[in-house]
Amino acid sequence: MTMNEDDIFTTVKTNVLAVLPDLDPDQVTMHGTLTDLGANSVDRADVVTMTMEDLGLVIPISEFQEVHDIASLVALLKRHS
Amino acid sequence: MTAGIEALNVYCGVAQIPVRTLFEGRGLDTDRIGNLMMRNRSVGLPFEDPVSNAVNAAKPVVDLMDPADKSRIELLITSTESGLDYSKSVASYVHEYLGLPATCRVVEVKQACYAATAAVQMAVAYVASGISPGAKALVIATDVALVDERGQYAEPATGAGAAAVLIGEDPRVLTVDLGAFGNHSYETLDSARPTPTFDIADSDRSLFAYLDCLSNCFEDYRSRVEDVDFATTFDYLAMHTPFAGMVKAAHRKLMREFAGIPPARAEEDFTRRVLPSLAYPSVVGNLCSGSVYLALCSLIDHAELAELDGGARVGLYSYGSGCSSEFFSGLVDQRSAEALAPMRIGEHLEGRCELTFEEYAAVLPANLTCLVPEQDRTVDVTAYDDILGRARIDRDLLVNTGTKDYHRTYEWLNT
Repeated sequence: MTMNEDDIFTTVKTNVLAVLPDLDPDQVTMHGTLTDLGANSVDRADVVTMTMEDLGLVIPISEFQEVHDIASLVALLKRHS
Repeated sequence: MTAGIEALNVYCGVAQIPVRTLFEGRGLDTDRIGNLMMRNRSVGLPFEDPVSNAVNAAKPVVDLMDPADKSRIELLITSTESGLDYSKSVASYVHEYLGLPATCRVVEVKQACYAATAAVQMAVAYVASGISPGAKALVIATDVALVDERGQYAEPATGAGAAAVLIGEDPRVLTVDLGAFGNHSYETLDSARPTPTFDIADSDRSLFAYLDCLSNCFEDYRSRVEDVDFATTFDYLAMHTPFAGMVKAAHRKLMREFAGIPPARAEEDFTRRVLPSLAYPSVVGNLCSGSVYLALCSLIDHAELAELDGGARVGLYSYGSGCSSEFFSGLVDQRSAEALAPMRIGEHLEGRCELTFEEYAAVLPANLTCLVPEQDRTVDVTAYDDILGRARIDRDLLVNTGTKDYHRTYEWLNT
């Protein structure tokens, strides 16, 4: 089953807010990066693993090399959904 | 048949720098210190190398053995990502300076921070197999740091030193649960040391691989061992510690995935089961190959083992970039605390000399050349007399004095 981009983004956003609870939800957009939102490397790993878990996906780590912002993260997750 | 760790010690250098001093000296964002959960990092000095670190970790272990036991060390394995030669092992020098028997296999293994655990498991299997009853094996994880300001936020987390692990049939320190293990490995370039002078690291990829391998190792462990419950089977956990904050994230992930406990409720469990293992790593930094054994020392020296009936089960996690990883387990008890106490690890760490940022910056260039092969080189140990004088050291230390026709030279420094 292929999930749509909006659902995937919503899952990413939920997990970003779970990891960084002080963020204003409006700050999390497709065009931003996790680093710009204040996520350190542990936070970023948390967001990605929690999102894969929620979506039931297992994606090889090597593929995350191309992820630079939230939009490319969503695109990668969508390709594997 | 029982087998496991009979004796254990670490050597983490004679100098350290507070992480805050390093952050301020480099102009790093001090708000991020909290995330690292670290107070100090050990700093190697230019006369310290993988051989001297290994010998200085193992000497107190070997000195406490009676001669008959020492003569039964049949296997010496050094584990290092700081190799000195394409052919000759670090172990060959270590064998000499520890005065180990000639009837001993000598070999070096490599797989970033994981290799020592592969060596420990092979040694445990050798002892447990019964093919040479009474045999002992000495595994020494030893490394130097090749890090400077290019490491950015990895610099304050990088430690240096060695861990010596004596394996035998009388596992006073850790009785390894034979057959209880889980592995996960695959090829990735998350961090590496492509030349003798610098490391490359992709921190996101490495942290992600560490966490991914942890879940997969634990799954494999659970598939081999009956009735395993992450929340209740292990009284304590000791993990490879790139920085203490990373272990907190790893624990949070396992609690969420395998115990169904959300991050907000994981804190109390972290404090109880994991924090004792982080006391030493948080004042040393990443000991690389020896990291999980530094965490185990910390756990044994800080946990309330006397109150536990029948001992405590420890879950151990070892991860090495590249990557390979293992989750395994064993039992510790009051005897473990008594066996580790003579090593006085807490005093050793307290006794390190605190460096100023300027002193720290001054020793780094020479440290970066430690592994570069040179036909002839002289290391002037007396140049560091001031630092050595400020450290509290109550035993002789092996120091590297240079190379002569590519042969590395060492001396015992009477402190």
